[in-house]
Amino acid sequence: MNIFANQTPGAPKSQAELLFESHQRKARQFQVNVALSWVTLLAIILFIFSGSHFLGIKTIQLDGNFIRANVGYIAGGIVQTLQISVISITFATILALLAALGRLSTFPPIYALSTFYVSLIRGTPLYLQIFFFFLALPQLGIVPSAFWSGVLPLSLNYGAYMSEIFRAGISSVGKGQREAALALGMTPRQTMQRVVLPQALRFAIPPMGNDFISMTKDSALVSATGFVRELTWRATKVGRATFHNLEALIIAAIFYWIMTILLSFAQSRLEARLSKGDR
Amino acid sequence: MTSIVKISNLDKYFGHLHVLKNISVEIQPREVVCLIGRSGSGKSTLLRCINFLEEPSHGTIEVDGVQVESGGKGKEHRQLIHDVRLKTGMVFQEFNLFPHMSVLENVIEGPVTVKGMEKNKAIALAEENLDSVGLLFKKDEYPNRLSGGQKQRVAIARALTMQPRVMLFDEPTSALDPELIGEVLNVMKKVAKDGMTMLVVTHEMGFAREVADRVLVMSEGEIIEDAKPLELFTNPQDPRTKALIDRYRTGEQ
Repeated sequence: MNIFANQTPGAPKSQAELLFESHQRKARQFQVNVALSWVTLLAIILFIFSGSHFLGIKTIQLDGNFIRANVGYIAGGIVQTLQISVISITFATILALLAALGRLSTFPPIYALSTFYVSLIRGTPLYLQIFFFFLALPQLGIVPSAFWSGVLPLSLNYGAYMSEIFRAGISSVGKGQREAALALGMTPRQTMQRVVLPQALRFAIPPMGNDFISMTKDSALVSATGFVRELTWRATKVGRATFHNLEALIIAAIFYWIMTILLSFAQSRLEARLSKGDR
Repeated sequence: MTSIVKISNLDKYFGHLHVLKNISVEIQPREVVCLIGRSGSGKSTLLRCINFLEEPSHGTIEVDGVQVESGGKGKEHRQLIHDVRLKTGMVFQEFNLFPHMSVLENVIEGPVTVKGMEKNKAIALAEENLDSVGLLFKKDEYPNRLSGGQKQRVAIARALTMQPRVMLFDEPTSALDPELIGEVLNVMKKVAKDGMTMLVVTHEMGFAREVADRVLVMSEGEIIEDAKPLELFTNPQDPRTKALIDRYRTGEQ
């Protein structure tokens, strides 16, 4: 954004303006150099897996037939992976918000409930939690499907971690903001809804985006139950069957990577939109 | 004439600290009262007790016929505080505009959310008030694009759009660069001229002298002098008032 855009056209440029432009030029040059380096690194990796002979180096040969035959099947797992991630992040967000409000409560049982939940969930491995739902609960007669055995622990787990983000977001809104809202006659509830939470949310969106991206990858753990046909499950299935694990896992990894890049891009767009009116 | 603000036997403790000591004061409709004193003398706390941003430890606040006893609890007490807040507009030292709302959204927020005013009506009222503080052309900007003086003028418009009976100003120019103070004081003069009852905590002696009908001097939680500005500045009765005024004089030179 050019902050000098609304200056009179044709007017001689000020020192600040010249300095600003030179900073911008440097920033652009840096970005171009980074992009070139990325392309080089990609080219090296492609070369390593090209299967060619070059200056006496024999590079890795991947089985093209296997890839062509299975890429479609593995790609089908993207749907499940996204399904798990979207549903889990939705539940996690609700849990995180409740836990954060609980953490800010002055009513001891609510405060305790919130801290107890966060402590318990953060104190145990996600992998174990998934098996707890899938293997331990059936012993008590509760039999969640493999899908929900994945979604519920993911939600609980990310909800616990994200509650800290919301709490920090709510605490970041200054006391003066609440006072201004109260002085206008808002109830504590209106103050929370109209003034505090919108600002807290804007603070929380970037880290929430990171968590969503990291969740798309942690959803791979759900494959451990053996019944949810997401990306990792499909890759390991076809890879093991014909001993083409290298090809299969590379395919899955590429899909995860592309998803992550696209989501990061979407996240930065969202952030830019939300930052309007930022202090 | 009946007073519009009546503070009776007000005490405020912060822990063991006795910051307001049995204060009683009345303000008449359309009166402009400046509250001066060293920092820590309790003037801001007194102002904040009027709309219950600070809950008084003891005493009674009455604003335009709504009387609230301190120490009350429950729904009825909260309703009274709400009524008092509707009758008072407040302007803060740090402006406290809502950064996630545009200027216009800031100004209509109170009427729409709190009073349930129709949006079009609120916008018309808001634009009128933004115009009177000279910032209608900034209505679609966000607060981070405004100077401190402009922010404070928007904050004044925001408070006025709630159509309060009394305006409370808590050191409205103390956070401003010196060259921006004038524009805010001018807006405040205009508000006074329009007949608003105002209680202003300030260090601006020029403003107090020129605009105030009365000046209250506070020291260590008490009102030690209550006089017309001319009398107060030319013939202070209390030696502490004299010391305070002398300090401002040397500061001004």
